[in-house]
Amino acid sequence: MLMAYASVAAFFLVAIGFLLGSLLFGRLLRPNNMYAGKVETYECGEAPVGPAWFNFNPRFYIIALVYIIFDVEIAFIYPVAAVFKRWVDQGSGLFALIEIFLFVAILMLGFVYVWAKGDLDWIRAIKGDPRGAQDVSSRSRAPAGQAAVADGGAES
Amino acid sequence: METRTFDNVASLAYFAPELGLIAAVLLLVVWDLASPARLKIAGLVVISLAALAWSGGMGAYFLAKDAGPHELFHGLLAFDRFSNLFRVIFAFVTGAIVLFSVPPRGPGVAPELRRDQGEFFTLILVLSLGMNLMAASRHLLLIYLSLELVSVMSFVLAGFKINDARSSEGALKYVIFGGVASGIMLYGMSWIFGITASMHLGECAARIAALTAQQGKVPEVVFVGTACMLAGFGYKISAAPFHMWTPDVYEGAPTPVTAFLSVGPKAAGFAVLVRFFSDALGAGSASPAVATPWPVLAGCLAMATMTIGNLSALGQENVKRMLAYSSIAHAGYMLLGFSVFSDAGVAAIAFYIVTYCFMNLGAFMVVMAVAEQSGGDETLSAFRGLGRRAPLVAAAMVVFLVSLTGLPPTAGFVGKFYLFSALLTAGGAWRWVLAIVGVVNSVISLFYYARVLRAMYLEKGERTEPVAVRPLLGATTCALAVPTLLLGVYWGPVYDFVASSLSMLR
Amino acid sequence: MPSLSALVFLGLAALTLGSAGFVAFSRNIIHSALALLGTFLGIAGLYVTLSADFLAATQVLVYVGGTLVLILFAVMLTSRIAEMKVSNPRGRPVVAFVLVTAVLLVLGRVATRTPWPAEARPAMPSTAKLGHAFLGEYLLPFELGSIVLLGAMIGAVVLARRAVRRAGEKE
Repeated sequence: MLMAYASVAAFFLVAIGFLLGSLLFGRLLRPNNMYAGKVETYECGEAPVGPAWFNFNPRFYIIALVYIIFDVEIAFIYPVAAVFKRWVDQGSGLFALIEIFLFVAILMLGFVYVWAKGDLDWIRAIKGDPRGAQDVSSRSRAPAGQAAVADGGAES
Repeated sequence: METRTFDNVASLAYFAPELGLIAAVLLLVVWDLASPARLKIAGLVVISLAALAWSGGMGAYFLAKDAGPHELFHGLLAFDRFSNLFRVIFAFVTGAIVLFSVPPRGPGVAPELRRDQGEFFTLILVLSLGMNLMAASRHLLLIYLSLELVSVMSFVLAGFKINDARSSEGALKYVIFGGVASGIMLYGMSWIFGITASMHLGECAARIAALTAQQGKVPEVVFVGTACMLAGFGYKISAAPFHMWTPDVYEGAPTPVTAFLSVGPKAAGFAVLVRFFSDALGAGSASPAVATPWPVLAGCLAMATMTIGNLSALGQENVKRMLAYSSIAHAGYMLLGFSVFSDAGVAAIAFYIVTYCFMNLGAFMVVMAVAEQSGGDETLSAFRGLGRRAPLVAAAMVVFLVSLTGLPPTAGFVGKFYLFSALLTAGGAWRWVLAIVGVVNSVISLFYYARVLRAMYLEKGERTEPVAVRPLLGATTCALAVPTLLLGVYWGPVYDFVASSLSMLR
Repeated sequence: MPSLSALVFLGLAALTLGSAGFVAFSRNIIHSALALLGTFLGIAGLYVTLSADFLAATQVLVYVGGTLVLILFAVMLTSRIAEMKVSNPRGRPVVAFVLVTAVLLVLGRVATRTPWPAEARPAMPSTAKLGHAFLGEYLLPFELGSIVLLGAMIGAVVLARRAVRRAGEKE
């Protein structure tokens, strides 16, 4: 039975072997002439500014979170989709459809929630979203200015 | 009535309490998005309370009608008196927490307190759903799923305080400990599944009983599996040595969440623990010829938990943190009843959980009421002179603390009385040792509870003006203090009701 | 000469444990996060050897494709994380070593002495069987899964949103 997966293993081995092989090949062939400018990070010809490991914006994180949730959802739905036709043939298609619909609907509600709350908006936290505007702006305008000053002071 | 196993559709009628909770969760999300700002919190509270009343009411109705026992959803869930009793308890606890979490209104209140309320109530209800499922699970998969449901919601709620480093730290520790504990528990489940080739507790029980009879002792593999699973259960009830997260989480979390975690998930943890041991391991009904390791194991856990909880509570200045350690100690007392593995022991645990709900919720509620009026100060100094500044709340606190110590005439005394009597009725030198350790621990606990009493009545604070406690908090506190006292003098019917509601599907 | 499946198992176990060791002991947290990739892939391979092919695919899809990215984001958006070079403090390594060895010995002894019930290996395309289980016997956990996911999403977004707000206020 494992032999069925031999092709997968072969793919892996060939892929890794190709990578290592070309690296090794390159090392053997190329002249070894290193200087500071050459080993620098390549940024389309510009001189790089700051380190490559810097803080990402936390908004990426929310997107990744939502992505994972729906990733798992797909993993759950896939086996059901695979057998759905057989359930229809057995005459209990409606039952299966309701079950899968409930599953998706509950998660869609989560999607609606994230969307309506503005967590998917890219610029929202800077301006303050319209629905939470009273909530956010009345409190954060003044402290935000101070925080910016404090931060600037800390950085400089 | 014979036990019947229902398929998915037929089960729904018996699953109505949880269906109500699920519907309410979805409704809360919609309401949070669509409601006008003015009515928002009122609506959230009303929807939550209605769902909880439905869930608890249906549980009580099933109990009164003496419905069941049945197996629901192809045997995944048990529908029996035990699960219905816990439905009522969880609905009550969650309802109290919902009232507890209504944010204060009016000028001068930080707007952060009113932010993200929709999510807060939603998560609380999901947590309540998870607890109901924990008490009813009869299948390893569902035990794990409901435990995770409760854990994940608890993690989020523990970190709910905004811009509070302690809250975030507590939540992070909770997540890490929780991840490790449930990993170990899953590993233990895989052992149990490996030897029994089934995840259904009833089938596990048959296979384990056969193996036990064949080998003349509990098989080692079952012991290893169970010990690993105890990590997950012990984490939920915060029994030593899985208690380390408790003080930080309880101190950092918002007070209503702390109160909830110290009562709700803990009771659910005990429910699933009791069901697993009596259902899958047959610990209560094993023939006496076979020596089982469970009483010694549970007894050691109980002693360690009580002692660590009480000794650590002694030096605490922060009342919330002290109550956290005290809740560890109370888990230890309940484990005493658990270590007997008899019907009397289970009845004592269940009755103790009922009394513990009242007194512990009440104590946390007083802490919250006091902290709210003293700028978030939860240390002993905020309690100085409270006897004069807020006589009613202070009196209620006296009732709760005396009850937590376990002195008459309060509910805590009666609860402890049943625990110890279950222990001593079972007899044997080991039980006597446990009982003596338990009594010594109760004496130790008197010291730290008395410190709060002394601060409230004998010490003078810097401030002498009366404390204006919110009417909602004051009323709920008194509503919790009355049964705490009442159960101390007239407990017969409640105890009989609880003790008769413990028949479990096997 | 060990059998082919034993060799496959040993190779996958080595990949899993080796990467896990790198995760635990690397002093650079980003390298730790990247090394998780090997652990996840090794576990996916182990699932295949256990005849759980759908689970293996899910493992790659969810853990390699999603969770690892999330962990990398979490690492990258924690402030000043690149300067933190500390790994776990190695307090009392002797005690830990003794404890772990004892536990391993006990587990190994019990596992090897137990007469495990042996069953024939189930046939491999397991997706359809899972689908039938989700729609039939295990419907409740399936539907509860959506509730768990909904709750987890709301909870996670609530907590993450605060970080976004803080970042926004900084800007």
